[in-house]
Amino acid sequence: MSKKLKQIAIYGKGGIGKSTTTSNISAALSKMGYKVMQFGCDPKSDSTNTLRGGEYIPTVLDTLREKGSVKANDVIFEGFNGIYCVEAGGPAPGVGCAGRGIITAVQLFRQQKVFEDLDLDFIIYDVLGDVVCGGFAMPIREGIAEHVFTVSSADFMSVYAANNLFKGIQKYSNTGGALLGGIIANSINQEYSKNIIDDFAEKTKTQVVEYVPRSVTVTQCELQGKTTIEGAPDSEQAKIYTHLAEKIAAHEISHTPSPLDTTELREWASGWSKQILEVESRKVSAGA
Amino acid sequence: MVINLGTPVVESREQRLGTVIAWDGSASRLVKESCYSENGTACCGCRLCERENRGPFTQGASCSEMMVECQAGHVRDAVLIQHSPIGCGASQVTYNSKFRNALKMRGLPVKNMRVVSTNLDENDMVFGGIDKLENTIVETWERYQPKAIFIGTSCSTGIIGDDVDSVSEEYSQKLGIPVIPLHCEGFKSKHWSTGFDATQHGILRQIVRHGHEKQEDLVNVINLWGSDVFRPMLAELGLRVNYVVDLATVSDLAQMSEAAATVGFCNTLSSYLATALEQEFGVPQVKAPQPYGFAGTDAWLRELGRVTHRETKVETYIEKEHRRVKPLVEELRARLSGVKGYVATGSAYSHGLIAVLRELGIRVDGSLVFHHDPVYDSGDPKQDSLAYLVENYGDVAHFSVSNRQQYQFYGLLKRVNPDFILIRHNGLAPLAARMGIPAAPLGDEHLAVGYQGMVNLGESIRDILAHKKFHRDLAEHVTLPYKKSWLESDPYSLSIQTSAAGEA
Repeated sequence: MSKKLKQIAIYGKGGIGKSTTTSNISAALSKMGYKVMQFGCDPKSDSTNTLRGGEYIPTVLDTLREKGSVKANDVIFEGFNGIYCVEAGGPAPGVGCAGRGIITAVQLFRQQKVFEDLDLDFIIYDVLGDVVCGGFAMPIREGIAEHVFTVSSADFMSVYAANNLFKGIQKYSNTGGALLGGIIANSINQEYSKNIIDDFAEKTKTQVVEYVPRSVTVTQCELQGKTTIEGAPDSEQAKIYTHLAEKIAAHEISHTPSPLDTTELREWASGWSKQILEVESRKVSAGA
Repeated sequence: MVINLGTPVVESREQRLGTVIAWDGSASRLVKESCYSENGTACCGCRLCERENRGPFTQGASCSEMMVECQAGHVRDAVLIQHSPIGCGASQVTYNSKFRNALKMRGLPVKNMRVVSTNLDENDMVFGGIDKLENTIVETWERYQPKAIFIGTSCSTGIIGDDVDSVSEEYSQKLGIPVIPLHCEGFKSKHWSTGFDATQHGILRQIVRHGHEKQEDLVNVINLWGSDVFRPMLAELGLRVNYVVDLATVSDLAQMSEAAATVGFCNTLSSYLATALEQEFGVPQVKAPQPYGFAGTDAWLRELGRVTHRETKVETYIEKEHRRVKPLVEELRARLSGVKGYVATGSAYSHGLIAVLRELGIRVDGSLVFHHDPVYDSGDPKQDSLAYLVENYGDVAHFSVSNRQQYQFYGLLKRVNPDFILIRHNGLAPLAARMGIPAAPLGDEHLAVGYQGMVNLGESIRDILAHKKFHRDLAEHVTLPYKKSWLESDPYSLSIQTSAAGEA
């Protein structure tokens, strides 16, 4: 095997469109001719649904629980255009330890040398949330993913989650951990949304890789159990995802971000909220 | 099967080898169900490992971390850090006594083992224990200046996801010595023998050196703390012994890659290290029956002779030893013939001990092993020690797998009513004693190895049989802590595997 495997982790707050974005990136990369595996690291286990016609696949951890041991090939399922789909799985809400679940599932795959054997070009880890504990940091540690992208809207809670992720990346950066490729700005339809994300990227010394607008096409395709790339290949939205995938494929060098500390983040958010308020009030008075 | 040294975490035994910890039936059936020779690869998905998908009822058990303590903690010029709450250090007492005894037995300066705990508390569980680990590494370095630092993880650090690997890497560079993470969280494997593999995995990744010249007369002997029986034996063949992992120095461990061969006294202990040394460093593993009884020792020596090109010396030695030992064994046979023995030890070790008992004319109708590996890492049928036992020394009617469970032991012994038991893990011996059965605690696990081993073991058994009257008296005056209904039950009736195990 001579080609270099590119390992990418995509993080973001729950519900922000992380799995949608990830699946569309996987689908676009695969249509570009790359061999791709998407590894869902979310106990909800629905990362790869739109690559599999809306169906859930047996997870690594459920299989481990049932059988006591797992052969990696038993939990890899082929999806759209030959994409390898894996779901780590995890406990039901409110019980157990989802972070440990990610550690267990990722270690199991690494031990069995699956990535090498499948001769992959890309592995994309789709990871839930705010890096709340050591387990969720697993994919950004040494030797696993090399590049991290975060999906964020201009919503402050989503930006907070991204900032937390940057703290995690910064922590592991001097011990060989993954570095930050940039922000994938999602649901960007207002001008000020773009400005917020741009400003956050600048303050934290990173870049915005792509602006993805909110689109009803995405929802329509998802309702059919498909990615936009599969369900509406000629749409504007599909072009944006393809463009994003091309940038990710070409992306070589990531950097250590400079996360804001708690006070800075609060002040930054407060400054923006005042501006938004002014914009909105102007709209209201203009409309009256 | 291929061992993967590319990741810091060892693959568990059940994942690699399909290890089971509850099974009941004859040895010949276990051989059949293990499908060793048919598959030749580990964890074959055979009936055996598929069936035992949940652990049986367990009163208490050992932990992988303890095996790290008694291996990494016994490297003479290294220090083991237990990255754990202090409770994980409870077994330091036991392993320190074993370490001191072993040093004495080998004629080395007696000293305490060096183990340091990070003593994690509630705050560390919430905020992460990495800072404490770093402080401990620095303190350990300043205090002891060891040649290597091992870091044993624990359940708690595994759950919170402390990044021990990155810290180890950082301090390996800062201190210029190997700082080696050993992932031995107790919850990760149903059997503690994964802890052997975790230690060996770390040593293979970070201590064993690459690219040095071979030492054609050096043999790695994978051992624990037993008396020095291998050095004189191998000296007769013109070979030097490199005892690993226990009681070795870091430099002994580093030179493992230069040896002409690797041998062990028990496949359970040596499977991972010996196989990986062959795979990664080209050091041949002696794939032969274990060195017990005439047949096993002959075959083991011949394979060692073949691998190290000492065939003639081996034949001379075999002939000499047969001549010397056969009359002694004959004499012991005359005295021990018809006596009934029972073996309760680690898995592959029991295969060897039963062979020795049968060489001595002792009847063995039952044995308890603490786990069973359907295959070993090499996947080579020549190492199928259970099949070798059955083929060469006959079947064992009641060959039970149970992870040292007290509650089952009474019923197991009652099935065969032995005159004595052989045991290495003393937790079960008092129960046997209270049933009137004397136990030979094999504190020296090399006692039964090789030709002289048959004589040694025979004499030990004669000694313990002399205690029979004492044990009978004891049995008459003690009561067991179990209800009559339980004592009359099948010992596997609480095990989920009972129905399957009962199949023909």
